Amino acid sequence: MASEMLNIRGMTCAACAQRIEKTVRKLSGVNLANVNLASEKLFVEYDSDQVELSAVKAAVTKIGYEVAEKSENAKVTIPIGGMTCAACARRVEKAIGKLEGIEETSVNFATEKATVTYDPQTVRLSVIRGAIEKAGYEALEVDKADAVDEDRARKQKEIKTLWTKFIVSAIFSIPLFYIAMAPMITFVRLPFPAGIEPMRYPLIYALLELFLVIPVLAVGYRFYTVGFKALIQRSPNMDSLIAIGTSAAVIYSVYNTFQIASGHFMAVDALYYESAGVIITLILLGKSLEAVSKGRTSEAIKKLMGLTPKTAIIFVDGVEKEIPIDEVELGDVIIVKPGEKIPVDGTVISGNTSIDESMLTGESMPVDKKEGDPVYAASINTTGAFRFKAEKIGSETALAQIIKLVEDAQGSKAPIAQMADIVSGYFVPVVCAIALVSGVAWYFGTGGDLKFALTIFISVLVIACPCALGLATPTAIMVGTGKGAENGILIKGGEALETAHKITTIVFDKTGTITEGKPTVTDVLTIEGISKDMLLQLTASAEKNSEHPLGQAIVLGAKAAGLELFATEQFEALTGRGIQANIKGEDILAGNRKLMDESGISLAGMEEVSDRLAEEGKTPMYVAINGTLAGIVAVADVVKESSRAAIESLHKMGMEVAMITGDNAKTAAAIAKQVGIDRVLSEVLPKDKSNEVKKLQSEGKKVAMVGDGINDAPALAQADIGIAIGSGTDVAMESADIVLMRSDLMDVPTAIHLSKQTIRNIKQNLFWAFGYNVIGIPIAAGLLHLLFNGPLLNPIFAAAAMSLSSVSVLTNALRLKRFKPVTGKR
Amino acid sequence: MNKNKKLIASAIAALVIVAAITVGVVKTAEGNLDVIGKGSQKTFEAVLNVLPDAGKADEANAGWSLESPDGEVRLIWSGDYNKSPVYDVMLEFDAKPFLDAGLDESRLSDQYKRNDGSIIIGSKLRKEAPSVKEGPNALSAYQQIETYNPDTINYHSAMDHYGLKLGDGNMFEWAKNMETNTVTKKDQDKDIVFVLNPEPLIAAGVDPEKVEGWVYTTVPVMDHGKNVEVYKFLKPFNIK
Repeated sequence: MASEMLNIRGMTCAACAQRIEKTVRKLSGVNLANVNLASEKLFVEYDSDQVELSAVKAAVTKIGYEVAEKSENAKVTIPIGGMTCAACARRVEKAIGKLEGIEETSVNFATEKATVTYDPQTVRLSVIRGAIEKAGYEALEVDKADAVDEDRARKQKEIKTLWTKFIVSAIFSIPLFYIAMAPMITFVRLPFPAGIEPMRYPLIYALLELFLVIPVLAVGYRFYTVGFKALIQRSPNMDSLIAIGTSAAVIYSVYNTFQIASGHFMAVDALYYESAGVIITLILLGKSLEAVSKGRTSEAIKKLMGLTPKTAIIFVDGVEKEIPIDEVELGDVIIVKPGEKIPVDGTVISGNTSIDESMLTGESMPVDKKEGDPVYAASINTTGAFRFKAEKIGSETALAQIIKLVEDAQGSKAPIAQMADIVSGYFVPVVCAIALVSGVAWYFGTGGDLKFALTIFISVLVIACPCALGLATPTAIMVGTGKGAENGILIKGGEALETAHKITTIVFDKTGTITEGKPTVTDVLTIEGISKDMLLQLTASAEKNSEHPLGQAIVLGAKAAGLELFATEQFEALTGRGIQANIKGEDILAGNRKLMDESGISLAGMEEVSDRLAEEGKTPMYVAINGTLAGIVAVADVVKESSRAAIESLHKMGMEVAMITGDNAKTAAAIAKQVGIDRVLSEVLPKDKSNEVKKLQSEGKKVAMVGDGINDAPALAQADIGIAIGSGTDVAMESADIVLMRSDLMDVPTAIHLSKQTIRNIKQNLFWAFGYNVIGIPIAAGLLHLLFNGPLLNPIFAAAAMSLSSVSVLTNALRLKRFKPVTGKR
Repeated sequence: MNKNKKLIASAIAALVIVAAITVGVVKTAEGNLDVIGKGSQKTFEAVLNVLPDAGKADEANAGWSLESPDGEVRLIWSGDYNKSPVYDVMLEFDAKPFLDAGLDESRLSDQYKRNDGSIIIGSKLRKEAPSVKEGPNALSAYQQIETYNPDTINYHSAMDHYGLKLGDGNMFEWAKNMETNTVTKKDQDKDIVFVLNPEPLIAAGVDPEKVEGWVYTTVPVMDHGKNVEVYKFLKPFNIK
């Protein structure tokens, strides 16, 4: 299965998104098609053997939308020195144009700049600069500010265009509204030109209104081209509603203008030009505000994208050379000075420093780095200069992966969105039907009052707002996931976000999650005839091949005691029990009670000691040599500072907190007591962890599993929500639903809290979106008037309400930006 | 480029549509955008044709007159504004019903002129018009008003009436279509209506409820483009 994220242009409401999804899903070989209206993206998963991406694009284009091609080319503006005339500019153009991989070159003599579009896979910027120099001119430093952020520029252009349209529309609509409404205002005497008095010069008045509404209709032409096209293709959308409503108003008014011309002056009371004009203006205002707000919902990802520096200083042939970030290659040695951003991922090869990784992890304290430590792109070098080797570049860096993960999450749909999707699909046709039925019913009910019936018809069409429905869920998810990313919490999709807020039980892995995961040797107890150093030396020699944290702790303990490790002749890791090794002909068994029992080794004399150690929260490891117990090496792991506060916060949220560990019951209980765990699942083998989660689920609980994401992968997968902690840069990102970039356990309640807040926000948005329609449509249809002789809804107010519905939904979603992480004091 | 071409084509199409509508509308209006003025002439002529003695010459005011069927009030309009001594358009009405209702003539303003038991109220028209010379008649004098003082004429959509404004809220109204006047709307059951502003008369002592032969009631009128309800003395008639 292949997948692709396509940028879609031309969508205006949820019905458009639905239509694209439906069309793409119909294609044979397409497995999944999700449209995010807010980010204007289509995520499509397809079988490339059955369908080509071009077919998907063609299908989208065919129904009237645009698929924006991703530019593979890079664009750069290079200031040029030494040009003296227009001929120089042509010469430079020629010199650059000759190079392979150049798409377009334009040299402006007046600004002394060359704008070059090129394929970075074929030609490097340095080569382009070289060509300029070779032609006899000076290629100056590339102006970083000129780097084109196409998406941002496009959005800015869209906002600018909408505002311009709105202003033009308002310039004509305001006088139109004034001359239409001033005669109706009785409580104040507004100035009114005598030459256009409707009761004296009705035809001039009508023609003036017509001339004023034309420019408004012209700037709003897109509503008609898109709306009627969708209507013809039997997939009406929001534009169709506006197009039908305002067209009906204009056509009826033109008819009445002719009526006036033919002597039926009373038709002057049935002109609706101002309704059409003001509706278009208000919708354009709403769309402008919507575009601004939509831009703000994706600010988090833009912030992430803007973190990468544009250049890197590499060390080549003994000299430092600044090159564009795109030109950094694997293995390049990069120099980072204090205060600079790290350009790509890699490993420190010389120098010591502290690095601020807060933009990736949310952790505010700088992390000390020395030779051999990993460094990540976009983090900031705070103190010393150092060199590192580039190991991950471009889309492989941790930052790029985080961006992709957040982008994918923002493009995903929460199950709660399904209801809105279903409603949106039927919404527009149903509204058209309601408008028509109401209009016809009122026409006959009022004895043929066409003016009244038309008011109802237009109002119903115009107040119905599918765009608010379409924006309700994705905008909240975008802001919610973006806010999570800002705090080092990567939520992998709408479904994870929604499930997380339903969690009732949280299971924590012990080692590395509740504890630091860096155990140290605390006690070495031997039986007579064996020295402590001997036991530690043998055990460490046996454990040196083990990847288990306890084994590594023993190795480190032996090294710290200055003990030499022996060569291992044979080694076997016994999952969930310990290890078996042969050293210098001696059979060594090191592990838990179960291992000793299975091997028939008597623990006599050591059981009490073992129990005591366990009660102190230490992990006792029995060591047997040649089938006889030789002693115990105890290892203890320090509980993380934030563990207790995090568990307390979860309790305050009403959650049951469990701990799962391979440790013996007593050790586990001791740790649990320290941090306030409700339920302990001890002596659980890694392979059985998922079963324990399953058991909890069978009790009707919604379970979240928090672990390091490698050993706990099956349990993370089994849980309703898998939360990988402190592993934002490795495979944990693949196995979990939520990835916490820091090792701070407080991020768990923060993630759950964020999920709750986001889902609450989505519900509020849906309430508003549905509320507007549920209340607005019956009022517009004249229900209040019918039942209580109450007010009718003027189409102008209907348009204002429609615009307000989208804006209020977006504004509500943006409130999530104020989300604050849970703190221990909460 | 294509996009620009498309935009230009759309703009041209829009302009063509607007031009076509405008031409169609102007053609329907027979080239005269003052449809009220044009329509009012036709129907005023109809009124003149129906009322006996309507359009009778009024030498004293250098014009013509239209008398109510009960003979108590006359609409007078001048054909030569230089020769009309008091007003160019006016109502002359019998003072007796108002005197009987308490009118103290000395309290009326100078705008109200007395003439042999009648009171005259009207206005000089704002724009001078050449005197009607060739084939002068009542209708051509009316046309002169419509041509040179079009603001004096209006249309009352609530009643489907034309109106001749005589100043200070006094009017003469007539049905736009006397044939359909009585059947289309309940309020339009009168073909001609003489309208007096009651306020100066009440201020001069008239008890509006006691004025014989005039109806004192509220009517919707247009005031600077606004529909407002005001009290008037009405003398309405069906003349068909």
